[in-house]
Amino acid sequence: MSDPRNIDLPMSREAAAELTLGEMVTLNGPIVVTAGIPTHERLMDCMRRGEAPPIDMRGAAFFHLGSYSRETEEGFEVLYMNPTTSTRFNPMMPDLIRHFGLRCVGGKGGLDAHCAAALKEVGGVYLSFLGGGAQIISDGIRRIRNVAWSDLVAHYRLVELEVEALGPLTVAIDAHGNSLYDQIAEEAALRRAAILERMNHARDGRGA
Amino acid sequence: MTIRDADIAQLTQDLYSWALRKVPDDTKQALARARGAETSETARKTLDMMLKSAALAESRESFVCSDAGVPDYLVKIGTKADWDSNIRSAIRAGFAHLVDTIQPPLLKHVTNPLTNERGYAGKDMPLVSFDLIEDADYIEITCSPKALGSGRWAAMELFTFPSLATIETFVIDTAIKAGSQHCPPVVMGIGIGGTFDYCAKLAKEALLRPLGTINPVPELAAMEQRLYDAVNALGYGPMGTGGDTTVLGVHVDFASGHGYTPVAVAFNCWINRRTRARIYGDGRVDRQE
Repeated sequence: MSDPRNIDLPMSREAAAELTLGEMVTLNGPIVVTAGIPTHERLMDCMRRGEAPPIDMRGAAFFHLGSYSRETEEGFEVLYMNPTTSTRFNPMMPDLIRHFGLRCVGGKGGLDAHCAAALKEVGGVYLSFLGGGAQIISDGIRRIRNVAWSDLVAHYRLVELEVEALGPLTVAIDAHGNSLYDQIAEEAALRRAAILERMNHARDGRGA
Repeated sequence: MTIRDADIAQLTQDLYSWALRKVPDDTKQALARARGAETSETARKTLDMMLKSAALAESRESFVCSDAGVPDYLVKIGTKADWDSNIRSAIRAGFAHLVDTIQPPLLKHVTNPLTNERGYAGKDMPLVSFDLIEDADYIEITCSPKALGSGRWAAMELFTFPSLATIETFVIDTAIKAGSQHCPPVVMGIGIGGTFDYCAKLAKEALLRPLGTINPVPELAAMEQRLYDAVNALGYGPMGTGGDTTVLGVHVDFASGHGYTPVAVAFNCWINRRTRARIYGDGRVDRQE
């Protein structure tokens, strides 16, 4: 099997355009993470008011990762992080993707077709992180660049990290509007009738 | 000698801490079997990562997942057990002590549903349900921390004199609704019959059954096989990015009821968090898993 493609951040439009569904990548460079709906609402407020958020989000790699950050004498440290379900951010992500030109978003569980359309416009991709992958994912952290909105609970803060070989992550929505999630859901819907029919046969003892 | 508050409080902490750090052996074996059978390269790589993640968390004695969930305990009191404890209060005290001392520390996941404020404690936390075990001389406590993948996608429907086809269609449609979002491959627990609350409890407890065990009721064993094949045929795959492995096991239990029949479907994400131990009057703790 091929090794994951190693990509430097910020991701160029060309690099994003080359990525194909199901391919695995690792990332080096700055990322911004949060797991909070209130955090997304604050970003939306910044956007509406035309203000810059406390961390520069333009062209950023922005991920739905919950992290445990705490303040020490040397500054903030992040003890661990792991993805959260992205779908609950569906209503806000298209605007955030377009406004900040997010080249690279991710988490787990995917985003909807509106988000995929927004990603296509800005030439961005969605990367799937391993849920329950706290050890593997946290191993990619090299240093903390910034922690903003620290009045929020730890995993809701907006945290900027420097990562190295973060991943592997699966390309699940590409920069051309194709989504593994949509493809798989459509395929499951198509298969449903035949699957139920096979179950009826098996239940009636007529064989599968 | 008798089982005291301090014993219950200590076990409360241990069970939760174990659940966060170790993927059960049966689950690791099921993931490895799935890895061998997968036809999708992305799915094989994802299953490899899951096995690596489980091994790293275990060897480092750290968390598999950053979402420690909310504490959920099932206490089964042996009717011959020797105990002198306010069990619910002891569990609450044990969890509070865990929050203060556990390394690495936990994120705040306990949520007030009226305000969405999050903390480490709250009304009715930890969630504790009780049952009895006839003639047993121990108290058995099960801990299954609940987060999105292990809680959010559960569903229940109430039918009137449903056929098995109706029941199984509901289960499939619940799996379709969860889709890629619950950290598959999952375990599914299904309750059929009883009442609204009893059926939900059946589904939740069915999740706890070890993978690979055969249902003693032949009709249910056959149903489990049908549902297992059907859910895996949907194609969501590991982490919902495609593959042959969407479910590791389907466990069904039932209770008699009225002609209206609740059907409940519960999920556990791939890390399948569950720990269980028995505590005896002489202080001995027998860890079951």
